[in-house]
Amino acid sequence: MEEEDPISVALKQEENISPNEAPRLSVGQWLRTNLFSNWANTILTILGALAAFLMLRGVLNFVFSENREWVAVRTNLRALMTLSYPESQYVRVWVALGFVVALAGLSAGIWANWGGLPLRRLGTWFMGVGGLIALCVLVREPSVLVDTEGKALLTLSGSLQRESFGAAMADRVNWWIAALVLFGFGIALWSRFSSAERRHIEWPITSIVYVGIGIAILTLWVVPYGHYAFDDGTYIAEPGTTVAFSTQMPWTVMWALLGLGFLLGKFLRSSRYVRMSKTGSNLLWLICPFALFWVVLRDPALDYGHVMSTDLPMGLAFGLLGAGALWLLTRSDIGEAGRIAATVLLVVAIFNWVAAFFGWYPMLQKARISFLLLAFAALLAPNFIGDVAKRRQLVLGWIGVMALVHYLATMINTPSTLDLQSDEFLGGLGLTLFVAVIVVVLSFPLGVLLALGRTSKFPIFRMLSTSYIEVIRGVPLISVLIFFSVMVPLFLPDGMELAELAAVLTGYTLFSAAYLAENVRGGLQSITKGQYEAADAIGLTAAQRTGFIVLPQALTVSIPQLVGQVISSFKETSLLAIIGLFDFLRVANSVIPAQSEFMGVKREGILVVAMIYFFFNFVISKYSQRLERRVGLGER
Amino acid sequence: MSIDDATTAANDRLADRDDMIVCVNVDKFYGDFQALKGVTATIKEGEVAVVCGPSGSGKSTWIRCINRLEVHQGGDIVVDGIELTNDLRNIEKIRSEVGMVFQQFNLFPHLTVLDNITLAPIWVRKKPRAEAESTARALLERVGIPEQAEKFPGQLSGGQQQRVAIARSLAMEPRVMLFDEPTSALDPEMIKEVLDVMKELARSGITMMVVTHEMGFAREVADRIMFMEGGEIVEVGTPEHFFTNPTEDRTKLFLSQIL
Repeated sequence: MEEEDPISVALKQEENISPNEAPRLSVGQWLRTNLFSNWANTILTILGALAAFLMLRGVLNFVFSENREWVAVRTNLRALMTLSYPESQYVRVWVALGFVVALAGLSAGIWANWGGLPLRRLGTWFMGVGGLIALCVLVREPSVLVDTEGKALLTLSGSLQRESFGAAMADRVNWWIAALVLFGFGIALWSRFSSAERRHIEWPITSIVYVGIGIAILTLWVVPYGHYAFDDGTYIAEPGTTVAFSTQMPWTVMWALLGLGFLLGKFLRSSRYVRMSKTGSNLLWLICPFALFWVVLRDPALDYGHVMSTDLPMGLAFGLLGAGALWLLTRSDIGEAGRIAATVLLVVAIFNWVAAFFGWYPMLQKARISFLLLAFAALLAPNFIGDVAKRRQLVLGWIGVMALVHYLATMINTPSTLDLQSDEFLGGLGLTLFVAVIVVVLSFPLGVLLALGRTSKFPIFRMLSTSYIEVIRGVPLISVLIFFSVMVPLFLPDGMELAELAAVLTGYTLFSAAYLAENVRGGLQSITKGQYEAADAIGLTAAQRTGFIVLPQALTVSIPQLVGQVISSFKETSLLAIIGLFDFLRVANSVIPAQSEFMGVKREGILVVAMIYFFFNFVISKYSQRLERRVGLGER
Repeated sequence: MSIDDATTAANDRLADRDDMIVCVNVDKFYGDFQALKGVTATIKEGEVAVVCGPSGSGKSTWIRCINRLEVHQGGDIVVDGIELTNDLRNIEKIRSEVGMVFQQFNLFPHLTVLDNITLAPIWVRKKPRAEAESTARALLERVGIPEQAEKFPGQLSGGQQQRVAIARSLAMEPRVMLFDEPTSALDPEMIKEVLDVMKELARSGITMMVVTHEMGFAREVADRIMFMEGGEIVEVGTPEHFFTNPTEDRTKLFLSQIL
């Protein structure tokens, strides 16, 4: 069933160069028409080039200055990634990462139709990188001369004494070699694939990316960089086993998993299970943040007596009795009784939560959650009235959800075996990613609901969501975070506790949802009245209209804003430092400079942190552009 | 022949059939402006009724009241024996009995043609997907564009889009089809392909109510023509009566302007 969807066909047609393409300009002509077409243009070009030159030189002088202590970053790589996460438990991180990597490969195999990259263009890229390195070597100022004690030598006039230009170039011979090798390889590729018949030879982009990652991992086996930094509950920069040495094997396994996932995905794509595997991979992506942080953060020590006597029977009861109730509720002759039953269930479910707040009667939290879910399922039931297959869908879905909810609830309520060495169980990039991913995943449905509420025709929903959004948007994020970490625990009912991190996640999610709601609202407003009327005219219910017609279009329209929101959520996790959590930036800003070996060394760490932030956001941004192009096709 | 005579003649021809749409003294206001002033009319089962009149005369408002896209404030509307009230269940029932085709097509741009057509049968009529898809393909055959099933609406011409919209309405197996100026947004060369589909539909015996300026279509297939102006039905009659011997001055003026 290797049948290509219309989108990919259209994309291909778009990318294929037509035989009647416009004649290409030569380099000289291009320069003349774009950069030096008249005297004003020429002046602007020269000024721009000068500015770029000065900026590049500034950055290079900063990075390669004799004052930089890059060893501080190298030594603290582990602290930057996970801070004090115990070394003995690291295998959990790798398992989690391995799962994500394999899933990424699988999805790329099932979905991605990334096309190819002409080898000729790859050649120009190599030439470009080689040229850029050569330019950097030339532009950087000659090094400052130092005496035997490492102090900078001064000239008689009091300025820094530098080596001669020739000596500097000779010192940088390694860089010259690197630049020449890359440039030469680029030229070789370019000239080999320049002829008319070889011009359009392409390599799949996926293979190029895969080989690139492979080469990066290969360096781990060759260059021993990075040292461990965390030992026995205190932060000390202790050189020892290198990070490269201890991660070369796991990274190689990751690389293999990526490849295997991709091959499996490609296989599934051409098999007849393609629809099922697409749904499955989407579901896995949705569940994996929770499941994996689970693996990383906790390892429940199950009390099997309690599991057998309480947890399992309760889960079974909810699953089976709920399934029976839903089977009855989807009978075709149910009529008004179904709506009444659903409403009654909803009232009971809400009353359980009110009772919990006032402490009227005890009840396991997961029972309350299950009741609420059952009420929602009952409200959805009318959509599944019909033949047996449809009713079975709802009932099986319910049993699946119950299994998951009860499994997770049981696991959460069981104490962990994970042995932590300090209060900060996780920090660095690990914490930043954890908070960002969870906040984005949780705030998304909430934000969509708020946006729907704000555009609803029921005044009460409109009023509630509007005031919520306006209040949250009128308050700085820091105050929300402080409120949730300091104030909320005081208001909680007796016997209910909220971990610091959970409090922060709640606050951040609620905050982020308000902004997300405004972005989605923009999309909702772009849907024309005709779409609503057409949906009404063919008899869709309000829920079906929203789910099938309005939301898919509204979300598509608001992709750029939603991605902007994701990026800013990710970056603003750095505010967690203010309420005492050790996020990525704080490790670079406070932890490393506090070590006795690297007293006050901040700039290097912050530069590296900034680059890593940039890398993640750049990837997200690029991906969203692809997504926009793909989904935009249906609109034209 | 007076209006009454003409109406009687038309009614005689349809007398033995059941009432499909009954409107009694329907009023509709937009703020202070009264768009419908006591519209009273009965459309019989299997009848093809064409509503015409100058723009702003309330014809679109009236047809949109019949499946509750607009809410009427006075009078009664009964469709196939179901009265149109605020009761959601009645509205749902009527909407699944009544198909509607819009001036601007209003296809769902993010769904393929096939998905556009099968959405309602699967989710409202609860049909299995395979059955809904085979019905949809048969309908696309009927409106003459079977090869466009996998495309997106944006890739079709206006005439093709409108034919998909007709197929989408027919997929619900409606008893009544409402057409709200179905050809007004089309280029002249595409009007014919849509009208041909509508003529074929009219001959199939489905009840149709058509708001249109296409007088040729009206003359050829209409059982009755209703002329509206200023929110009222001014004249009702068979095509022969309407085009050859209109009674009202306003009708004559309108016909002289458009013919």
